[in-house]
Amino acid sequence: MSRPARREARYGFLFVLPWIIGFLAFTALPMAATFVFTFLNISPAEQEPLMFVGLANYRRLFADQQAWASLWVTARFALLWLPLVVALPFLLAVAVNSRYLRGAGLVRVLLFMPYVVPFVAGALIWQNMLVDDGWINTALHWLGVGGAPSWLSDPAWVIPGLAMIGLWGLGSGIIINLAGLRGIPTELYDAARLDGAGWWRRLWHVTIPMMSPVIFYTLVLAVVEVMQYFLIPLVLFNGTGDPGGATRFFNLYLYQTFFTYQEMSYGSTLAWLLFVITLVVTLVLFRLSRRWVHYTSER
Amino acid sequence: MTPTPARRIRTALMTIVMFGIVVAFLSPLVQMMLSSLKSERQVSQAHAPLLPSDPRTFTHEGRRYDVYRVPVDGAVRELALVKKGRAESEFVDPAAPEKGTVTWQGSWRTLEPSWTLAPHWSNYAAVWKLIDFPRLLLNTIALAVISTIGTVLSCTLVAYGFARFRFPGRGPLFTLLIATIFLPTAVTLIPTYAIFAQIGWVGTWLPLLVPAFFGNAYSVFLLRQYFLTIPREMDEAASIDGAGPLRTLRSVIVPQAWPAIAAVTLFNFVYTWNDYFTPLIYLSGRPELQPLQVGLAAFNGLYSTKPAYIQAGAMMTITVPVILFICFQRTFVRGIMSTGVEK
Amino acid sequence: MNRLSNALVAIASAVALAACGSASPPSGDAATVELRWYCCLGTGEQAEQVKVQQKVIEKFHAAQRRIRVKLEVVTYDSARDTLATQIASGNGPDLAGPVGVGGAAAFHGRWLDLAPLIRSSGFDLSPYAKGSADLYRIGSVQEGIPFAIYPSTLYYKADMFEEAGLAEPPHKYGEKYTWPDGRQSEWNYDTLRELALRLTVDKNGKDATQAGFDPGEIVQYGFEPARDDLRYQGAAFASGSLDTGDGKTVKIPDAWADAWRFFYDGMWKDRFIMTGPVFESEQFNGDGASFFSGHVAMSVNFLWSTYGVAGAGDDWDLAAMPSYKGRTTSPTSADTFRILSGSKHPAEAFEFLAYLVGPASQELLSAYGAMPARTADQEAFFAKLAGQFTHKVDWQVAKDSVAFADNPHSESYTPKYNQTLTILGTYRSRWMTKGGLDMNAQLKEMREEIQAAWNRS
Repeated sequence: MSRPARREARYGFLFVLPWIIGFLAFTALPMAATFVFTFLNISPAEQEPLMFVGLANYRRLFADQQAWASLWVTARFALLWLPLVVALPFLLAVAVNSRYLRGAGLVRVLLFMPYVVPFVAGALIWQNMLVDDGWINTALHWLGVGGAPSWLSDPAWVIPGLAMIGLWGLGSGIIINLAGLRGIPTELYDAARLDGAGWWRRLWHVTIPMMSPVIFYTLVLAVVEVMQYFLIPLVLFNGTGDPGGATRFFNLYLYQTFFTYQEMSYGSTLAWLLFVITLVVTLVLFRLSRRWVHYTSER
Repeated sequence: MTPTPARRIRTALMTIVMFGIVVAFLSPLVQMMLSSLKSERQVSQAHAPLLPSDPRTFTHEGRRYDVYRVPVDGAVRELALVKKGRAESEFVDPAAPEKGTVTWQGSWRTLEPSWTLAPHWSNYAAVWKLIDFPRLLLNTIALAVISTIGTVLSCTLVAYGFARFRFPGRGPLFTLLIATIFLPTAVTLIPTYAIFAQIGWVGTWLPLLVPAFFGNAYSVFLLRQYFLTIPREMDEAASIDGAGPLRTLRSVIVPQAWPAIAAVTLFNFVYTWNDYFTPLIYLSGRPELQPLQVGLAAFNGLYSTKPAYIQAGAMMTITVPVILFICFQRTFVRGIMSTGVEK
Repeated sequence: MNRLSNALVAIASAVALAACGSASPPSGDAATVELRWYCCLGTGEQAEQVKVQQKVIEKFHAAQRRIRVKLEVVTYDSARDTLATQIASGNGPDLAGPVGVGGAAAFHGRWLDLAPLIRSSGFDLSPYAKGSADLYRIGSVQEGIPFAIYPSTLYYKADMFEEAGLAEPPHKYGEKYTWPDGRQSEWNYDTLRELALRLTVDKNGKDATQAGFDPGEIVQYGFEPARDDLRYQGAAFASGSLDTGDGKTVKIPDAWADAWRFFYDGMWKDRFIMTGPVFESEQFNGDGASFFSGHVAMSVNFLWSTYGVAGAGDDWDLAAMPSYKGRTTSPTSADTFRILSGSKHPAEAFEFLAYLVGPASQELLSAYGAMPARTADQEAFFAKLAGQFTHKVDWQVAKDSVAFADNPHSESYTPKYNQTLTILGTYRSRWMTKGGLDMNAQLKEMREEIQAAWNRS
């Protein structure tokens, strides 16, 4: 390495150093420690001597019905949530971008606004909307829907109810999609029009392929988020998993194991399971993305 | 070119539908505001009006009675219900109580109460005191300001390092940085908590503030992408003038990258403002240090029987982020756009 | 690389130590001792109560200079988790309270046995109601100092009985209930059920026994059980425990199973108890206090409910608890202050505790709305309580109820206490939100689930 190159490397390293220190202190080492914990029996509530227990925590994990039940809660929420959170912002962005819409700027700002509402307040605001005598059911009643569901207290409806609350923050997704839409060269549409392509064909053959990187980006971030989802039910149901365990998300079970049962080692095992699942799902998504995500230029 | 009728219809339809969606989307805010002004009496009444109102009452011989709309001889009269019964009930006319009671055949439960419009602004004053709002607000502002300063400072430095300097391992390190976005926080939570407890930081602001000074992946990424768009020639010109890397950062990069820095500042401010879980676990024994979100959640637990108070509290906590948003919505939008497009 | 792995091992072991609770002792001035008073495992979190507690501390500070006390207020919702985490990270407080039987059981093995301190300090236990001291024994703790007791009674709305043309429920234990036709029945849960049906009314004014009653539009409910905790609900029938006595085997007491079937059928078949969704709705003032909404005719509740019962109007009163199979039980909650076994200053903590349950007790008890365990203070307490309400309430019922306290207490320690509570809570919530369940299968499933938790070492 030449002297100026060494100097440059030294400066570069120096500037990046804060992050490296932070990464080691707040990410890498704690992660490693969590991994070590999975082979110990740290559980202050039981007051046992600290021991190496081998794979006991992993064996317990495989036999733990509650853990798998809570993973299933998370999965069910994800199956409903992911299509919504990818498709709705895209569709709304297409609508906002439409030349037929008057006042598009205002629509964009207003749809984005709830994104800045703190989620604790948002959860409480929506609780007020979703109770039996709230506006949602009042509106359904006016529309002639008999026997409107009890969104937050019926185990069968609480997942859709939570999805509704979550959708309040889709404003940022709309903006990201809008940015993507504006980046599509107009020539592509002109060419498609010359070929006689209608609105649907243009959407299908131009917009969606051109938007695939953005769709992929929103999907991956949504997956990472949904795997860890539990804060809104934590606030609404005070961590009980009510109604009837239907909101005991995997991360909530993990939190209970840590803080309520004080089972640090078993909780660490759950945390690592979550990490591995997230990792596998993201890797699979990246692998699959080669088939459908089109990058126009290599950066 | 004059718009064709078909086009006009499409425009009208599209605009109406979209504004309909917007109205539905924002209706929770309206319900919150209306609910926050309701009295407890209204909240616990079935089929109460949408607007904050009080049931009319009438005090008769020292006791308070509810006033109902009673159909008598084809006309609806407003009468106070003084004696309830399953098959017949007795009423008094508030306009002429001296005339004695009127007996009405039928179930009083089928009658509609009489309401008068009455927004209870006092709910806000009550919540302000109960929740100790000024203290929560000050805590939140202090936490948000300090950690935003930390984040912006550290992320600018780190992003500058990644954007402008070649050093061994830069690529893998940057990948690692991005990878932390995908890491579930639970996998680091317990050891981090244990260390903070060991060094006596639990119950202080330090666990919330110190990590902010070591950069975070999102902001570094956003800033780096922006820095890359600034022509290198400008750095080089500065360095020919004898400027060191820090001065180049200060005098060339930062002024150019102002929009990105503003976006990062706003995002981190709002993020810290809205953060709940970290302050919850680190400050749970210290209400005097807690920020708004934790205070609001605790308030919800304490006053769950008073929905109007909860909504008033929610209203108070969202005011600052919403005002910030209204003032700086362009910066927000641009900030999000730059993360989205570049990926 | 080697250095990194060394550092890793060092940090990991430091973390492990920290997690196991080896704490460094707090350094402090040798002359003064600083105590931490952890609050709100039970009552004490309301702003007014916090003020009184602070005032009590100030008085204590004024009386002596050696001990300084700091009050830590954590709201009830997160108080248990926070205390558990504090203890686990070696950062526990010195004393906690007011804490009830359940709160104490959740921290089984963490409390200091006060017996030696009581003896050495010559603390006089004789002024307390006989038997009330039993309520304060938790596991290895032989003796706690009685402070507050809260018997359960039946709260009812007299105006609803009047409207329905029914006599009010009996106020004296052992008395029978008299129907409008002169027929007399034992005051038990069957009678209560019959009454509750007649007191459940739809918006057209029809009650649940009449043809054309609309269960979709109920505006007044006949009965509200102790909904918060299934064990409390069970104990309102008869006292019992999930533990067969060996600390290993789970059995659901028959009386509890009956109580839970009564609860379930009351919601989904008989309709005189509100289902979960109704309970959550604003109209019925959710979260354990639906009687306060004024739309419920009868409700089993602890005496502490007096804090919000004014919301039910000025026609409510207290009646005797109904009996089950000829026996009456009034589940009784008992709050006190306790010292953590991890406290570095047990003697000083006891000095402060003796002050709290002694000179400061009147002030605290009235802030908590708690009935004093010291019999001599009870008259003054009820006189003060009566002053809070504009109408006359028969407080004698509450005094009489103490004789029917549950033993064993429903919140007593069982293995895997918190896990067991979670399972009970989940079933409770499921029953509240799902009709058409086979209760026998549910009970069997619940027993097995709890057993599985207990079996885990």
